[in-house]
Amino acid sequence: MFRLPRSPRPAAPAARPLLHAPAAAGVVLAAVTALAVSGCAGGPIGQDTPVSNGTNFVAGSYASTVYANGSGPVAPDIKGTTLAGRKFALAAYRGDVVVLNFWGSWCPPCRAEAPALAALATHFWSRGVRFIGVDIQDSPAAAEAFERTFRISYPSLNDPGDEVALEFQSTVPPAGIPTTLVINRAGRVAARVVGQSTYSALGRLIADVSAEKS
Amino acid sequence: MPPGSGHHEAVTSESIATGENAVTGVGTAENAGGTAAAGQAAGAQATAGQATAGQATGGQATAGQATGAPAPGRAGAKTGPGSSAGGRRALSGWLRWAWRQLTSMRTALVLLFLLAVASVPGSVIPQQGIDPAAVAVYYTSHPALAPIMARLSLFNVFAAPWFAAIYLLLFLSLAGCVLPRTFRLVGSARQLPPRAPRNLARLPLAASYRTALTPAEALESAARLLSGKRFRLRTSDGWVAAEKGYLREVGNLLFHIALLALLGSVAIGGIFGYKADRLLVSGQSFGDTVTALDQFRPGRLVTPQDLAPFSIRLDNFTAHYITSGSLRGEPSSFDAFIRYSGRPGAPMRAYVLRVNHPLEVDGVRVYLIGHGYAPVFRITDGAGRVVFDSPVPFIPVEQSGLTSEGVIKVPDADPDQLGFAGVFLPTAVDVNGRLQSAFPAALLPRVSLVSYAGNLGLNDGQPQSVYELDPAHLRRLPIAPRPLAPGQSMKLPDNAGTLAFTGYRQWASLAITYDPGQLPALISGILAIAGLLLSFAVRRRRVFVRAAAGPDGATVVHLGGLARSDAVGGFEAEFASLAGEITESHGGSRLTGTAGRPEDQQAGLDAAAAFDDQVSSARNDREPSLGNDEGE
Repeated sequence: MFRLPRSPRPAAPAARPLLHAPAAAGVVLAAVTALAVSGCAGGPIGQDTPVSNGTNFVAGSYASTVYANGSGPVAPDIKGTTLAGRKFALAAYRGDVVVLNFWGSWCPPCRAEAPALAALATHFWSRGVRFIGVDIQDSPAAAEAFERTFRISYPSLNDPGDEVALEFQSTVPPAGIPTTLVINRAGRVAARVVGQSTYSALGRLIADVSAEKS
Repeated sequence: MPPGSGHHEAVTSESIATGENAVTGVGTAENAGGTAAAGQAAGAQATAGQATAGQATGGQATAGQATGAPAPGRAGAKTGPGSSAGGRRALSGWLRWAWRQLTSMRTALVLLFLLAVASVPGSVIPQQGIDPAAVAVYYTSHPALAPIMARLSLFNVFAAPWFAAIYLLLFLSLAGCVLPRTFRLVGSARQLPPRAPRNLARLPLAASYRTALTPAEALESAARLLSGKRFRLRTSDGWVAAEKGYLREVGNLLFHIALLALLGSVAIGGIFGYKADRLLVSGQSFGDTVTALDQFRPGRLVTPQDLAPFSIRLDNFTAHYITSGSLRGEPSSFDAFIRYSGRPGAPMRAYVLRVNHPLEVDGVRVYLIGHGYAPVFRITDGAGRVVFDSPVPFIPVEQSGLTSEGVIKVPDADPDQLGFAGVFLPTAVDVNGRLQSAFPAALLPRVSLVSYAGNLGLNDGQPQSVYELDPAHLRRLPIAPRPLAPGQSMKLPDNAGTLAFTGYRQWASLAITYDPGQLPALISGILAIAGLLLSFAVRRRRVFVRAAAGPDGATVVHLGGLARSDAVGGFEAEFASLAGEITESHGGSRLTGTAGRPEDQQAGLDAAAAFDDQVSSARNDREPSLGNDEGE
């Protein structure tokens, strides 16, 4: 039947369609094993893979991955349109350190880290570090209001279809909201921070990467 | 881990750390035997002595069984001087004993029960993976207890080491039970038929005739005939024994292997599969990437890189409802018109998602599992700027009229953050002064909202549900909720801004499932059934032929037949036709062609019972159906 669960979560697993029931004898066994196995699948499996937590978005719990000395994957050449309507191509930033921040105006950790990002963007501007936002699951009106609130000076890509995130899928996918990628001057991913970043921790990462010889 | 390893060290450190059990020096929960502490210590000494004396392992196993603690074998190896060989034997004896215990049916059942019991805390105590907020609340309300519970993994039951221990032991127990059985079945299927009984007339089915052939010729031709009918033969001087129906054993074997494969498939699904949900408003699109999902439940070894990089756009969603009769308001059809692409840059393809008509892309299935309305709001703040303009999914709270509830959060409004909570009524009617929705289709859509201003609690970084307002730091604005029609707006008091209800869209919720174990599970399920049917439908049956020269010089041939008693019938007819064919091929004249005489029936039953015993020593069903059923 086509019934919605009455919980505040729209897509609770209760309404999941039935899988094929394999065998009368097997069903009990399968159910038992499913209980055992799916049970273990619910837990977090290390900091890289976030799981949902009833907030209806997958928030990143803080985890940072650093790829030392240019050992990280090459960042894909992402293209798009900024919230302000300008064309954007990551390739134009070769030679700069690029800090790519996936955010949404509705996402509490993104709001909490926004002042730090705004300050870091100003602080590192003279050292050839450029911040780029990727606004996801958002509306332009709300996103622009967010940028006003936190006095964000750097541009953000409007990515309602998650195309930018998909470009990174096979290498360093944004594994939660927010996710911040630091891309070195050679165009390789140098660090990924999943979850709310802080001024000091992200600042250190950026300082290290910007000090690297390109 | 070998039982009892590190036991002494653990005891010492525990005693110092806790100050408990200092007198006895035992009783830690570090290993399985820990609870039977005193007995274990005694057992350790006893076995140490045994190991030195070089006793057989079997004896030690019995001693261990008596103490109930599988530790001492190791202790013996350590303490007994010059007894390393005996110690090793003791160890292997213990391991064998432990393996036997683990793979026993009783242990499997106990583990199964334990698994059920162990899951209980997972639904009673708030779980970190499901509701971290509730866990945080638990920490503040039980400050003393919570850290202890966290140490015991009670906030993360399904990932707890003790939970893993239970299901791994269960898996081992099942595998350890099924595998040796399989080997035994293979062995029995490869056995030769037994020797022919001396007096074939005493078997449940028997026939005899005379022929002009010599006994050797008669046996040879009978053997050829039986072999042609795919009987397995064993010949000797004066007799031929033939057996058929090994498919029964094959079926049995197939069933057991298929069961193990089923277990494995389910495990594969749990390890490499994932499930995710996403609510999609008409006109929106999303990519199958973690940041775009509402819920993400990965298998053990699934990382965000493993998600199939497809994207889906919901162009339109339509729902049709029955408009008259007793089923009025019941849905008659749902269609989600989507476009999707398998990977970034690939061409978009159109598809219509329906209930139980999932989209399959890259091995991932996308199911349509829910729908609802998303009213569109444009909100202007006190400073006159548009701070919000988008659809907001409202969640149905009842089905007959799809009355839906939702909240709007406007965190970047000036001067205060704004929040709204209210209902969307697809077909609003006034029933005695109360607004209700009379029909699920949007015939007369209205929203009614309560307005708040203040602090939404979004800026401190604590994740909260997008479908709930946290009222802690909000004040209700002095404006009574009134129903708004599309296009209408309401001005908020205190110069807080304006909310306009500009229209509505529909949303569909999608369940994304990737289960690589699904097909293997289906196949092994089918094989298990096939094996079971085979083992029920086929029965093992034996035919014996004896030929000897009679007193008058002619050869007398005796035929006897025996089938396992508990399977379906039909062997009588088969035997009769076989006997007829053999007789005919020998040009024989029939002497008897029936079952054994009444006085011989008991003998036949005994033979049948012996057959049963041989086929499966575990069964005790010596059902006397064979002898009684045939009264030719």
